[in-house]
Amino acid sequence: MRRLARHVGQLAAWTLFLVVIAAFAMGPAFSPVPEGYGELKISMAHLAERVEPCRPLTEEEQTDLPPTRRVTEVCPRGRVPTLVRVRLDGELIIDRRVKAAGWQEDGRAYLLEFEPLPAGHYELELALRDSPREEGYDMQRQFKLALEPGHSALLEIGDGDVALRLPQ
Amino acid sequence: MTTPQAHALPGSARRLLARLEMPLSRAFDGVHNPMHHLGALTIFFFYVALVTGIYLFIFYRTSLEGAWESVEYLTHEQWYAGGILRSLHRYASDAAVITLGLHIVREMIRSRHKGPRWFSWLTGVPLIWIVLWFGISGYWMVWDELAQYVAVGSARLMDWLPIFTDPMSRNFISNEAVSSRLFTLIAFIHLVGLPIIAVLAIWFHLLRVRRPRINPTRKLMLGSLVALLVLSVLVPVYSHPPADLDRVPLSLDIDWFYLAIFPLMSLTSEGFVWLVAGGGTLVLAALPWLPPAKKPPVAEVHLPDCTGCGFCAEDCPYGAIDMVERSDERNFKLEAKVNPDLCVSCGICTGSCPSSSPFRQRRPLTTGIEMPHFTMEDFRLQIDVAADKARGAVLVFGCDHGPRVERVAGPKTHTVSLPCVGMIPPAGIDYAMRSTGYSGVAIAGCEGCDCHHRLGDDFTRQRIERERQPGLRKRVPRERLLTVWMKTGDETRLDQKLTEFGKHLADLSGEEEQTDPQESGRREEVQ
Ligand code: HEM
Ligand code: SF4
Ligand code: SF4
Repeated sequence: MRRLARHVGQLAAWTLFLVVIAAFAMGPAFSPVPEGYGELKISMAHLAERVEPCRPLTEEEQTDLPPTRRVTEVCPRGRVPTLVRVRLDGELIIDRRVKAAGWQEDGRAYLLEFEPLPAGHYELELALRDSPREEGYDMQRQFKLALEPGHSALLEIGDGDVALRLPQ
Repeated sequence: MTTPQAHALPGSARRLLARLEMPLSRAFDGVHNPMHHLGALTIFFFYVALVTGIYLFIFYRTSLEGAWESVEYLTHEQWYAGGILRSLHRYASDAAVITLGLHIVREMIRSRHKGPRWFSWLTGVPLIWIVLWFGISGYWMVWDELAQYVAVGSARLMDWLPIFTDPMSRNFISNEAVSSRLFTLIAFIHLVGLPIIAVLAIWFHLLRVRRPRINPTRKLMLGSLVALLVLSVLVPVYSHPPADLDRVPLSLDIDWFYLAIFPLMSLTSEGFVWLVAGGGTLVLAALPWLPPAKKPPVAEVHLPDCTGCGFCAEDCPYGAIDMVERSDERNFKLEAKVNPDLCVSCGICTGSCPSSSPFRQRRPLTTGIEMPHFTMEDFRLQIDVAADKARGAVLVFGCDHGPRVERVAGPKTHTVSLPCVGMIPPAGIDYAMRSTGYSGVAIAGCEGCDCHHRLGDDFTRQRIERERQPGLRKRVPRERLLTVWMKTGDETRLDQKLTEFGKHLADLSGEEEQTDPQESGRREEVQ
């Protein structure tokens, strides 16, 4: 009788173990975005203008350089931060000043944002300032975004080109 | 009588744990209680995952297009082998998280992380990360929607740290951006890198654990393997639809054991996940010193009684004793030397020293190695103190971590609680029965495979069986010796056992008186 009770106990213990595993190994389900939502990814890898433009060297400066390194022009490495503004139906959803990568801030400016959005039609506006100017933009684009539930659209900002890619 | 260390720290939590574990001990006969083998079970599940993983890898294709399809093939077309093994791979890994979690909580509740044992605790902490990385990298390999969610989530977590200038997540912004080489990398990490790191980390974790139990009992291995196989057949694991970076997965059947951080990130932020993970790790790592505990006095060697036999060094579960060159004039080569940083004051060395004998005449009674807060003199005094009631009574030795023997003290029982029953020198049992006149001796220690000091119960048993030096002399009537192994809080059952034992002793005495009237008086003669 006690033997039987022990076996029942062991069976119960293993069953509990399995139930706990089964309960959490594949669920409960989780929805990364709310129902009826899609997502807009904004990805930027953009080379902005130099903080100071390249400048020709004077004769004197040229002769100061070792003969093997003699160049006619110097380009200061630093690049200006890129100002990115994204508007969706007029509402500002991204307003970021992104520094150029690297210790000397001489690389590209990188940005990656994931925006969950309810499915629907949107006017998407992108404005970019990547020169030392204080006002205005160097590039402005407008797109029509038709987002379906579960779709992930991509606004890709490259060095000179910008594209909105919608899922096929 | 209890030693100063008795029932240390969170007593109520420990007793609650013992109470919760008792039904399992009843079902699994103590020794096979899975809760006593959590570290070893984790290693066992790791083996199962390793073996099944090797089979899966034979069919796995490390390419963007091939990954998902090859897993599908295993799951459906080869369901009878690959499918079951895939499920077993997943469930064994999940089981490892359960046993690991319980292992951590249990070691903490039982205060096995404090004092010199901090080392195993601290070296355990990185293992949590390694186990999580194992799981996370494994989920990448399927390259289904869940893998996509996990890959993007991991990349976003990495991007939050100021390491990469070009965000890692940009590798996952479109299907074209993903590289097949990534799968080679992940497969390498999951199949070669992490296993090697894990083995090294487990070795490191157990570096200071003498004679670690790295295998659970056969019964447990078989039981858990059968259980996981049953689950694999009943609820086979499946994949989500293939990853498509032009889509966001709308509903995912998450493995919460490994992937819970990703929903947490979706609901909060990358920074919050790092705060929880980093802060949690730091707090966990600091626990051995929170709050700082007072260290009980460590074992002391008494050279005039040490012959340099090395038994104590052999038995110390913490490797706290070195045999070093003799420093006195006596004609022995070696002497024992205690490393105070490693000694946890368990007293097991006293039990293994051949000089630990209450029969010796010297006063105060000394021995080769003993605990300053509970010397051999104290030990003999404790046995002698109740000598007036000894005839017909039972001397009960307990330990500070097993059943609380003081609860069963009575007119017919005298109790002594030691830091560990492994501290009892076999000569002490002999002495109690022959010289003091107890009709029997009972030893009540921690349950099988659950000794607080890991080896005290084994050593005690082996010394009684004369399988280990110093052995209990043959002349000691084994029928007058009771050993019980149980949890703290099980004192009612201990009381029952002692009552039965008392009856058994009375029967024995009755028989002895009938057959040989001198026999029962023998004990007095020896006195
Ligand atoms: C893969 C993960 C792990 C494995 C496979 C593992 C395995 C083991 C094994 C086999 C033992 C020895 C048991 C014995 O012989 O009595 C042990 C002891 C221990 N483990 Fe772990 N462990 C893991 C993770 C952890 C973690 C994360 C912690 C705590 C943060 C931890 C804390 C301890 C402690 C405190 C001991 C006791 C050491 C002693 O008795 O002095 N372990 N572990
Ligand atoms: S008291 Fe325990 S830990 Fe300390 S030396 Fe003796 S056996 Fe080792
Ligand atoms: S067991 Fe006793 S006699 Fe032997 S080395 Fe240790 S202290 Fe010395």
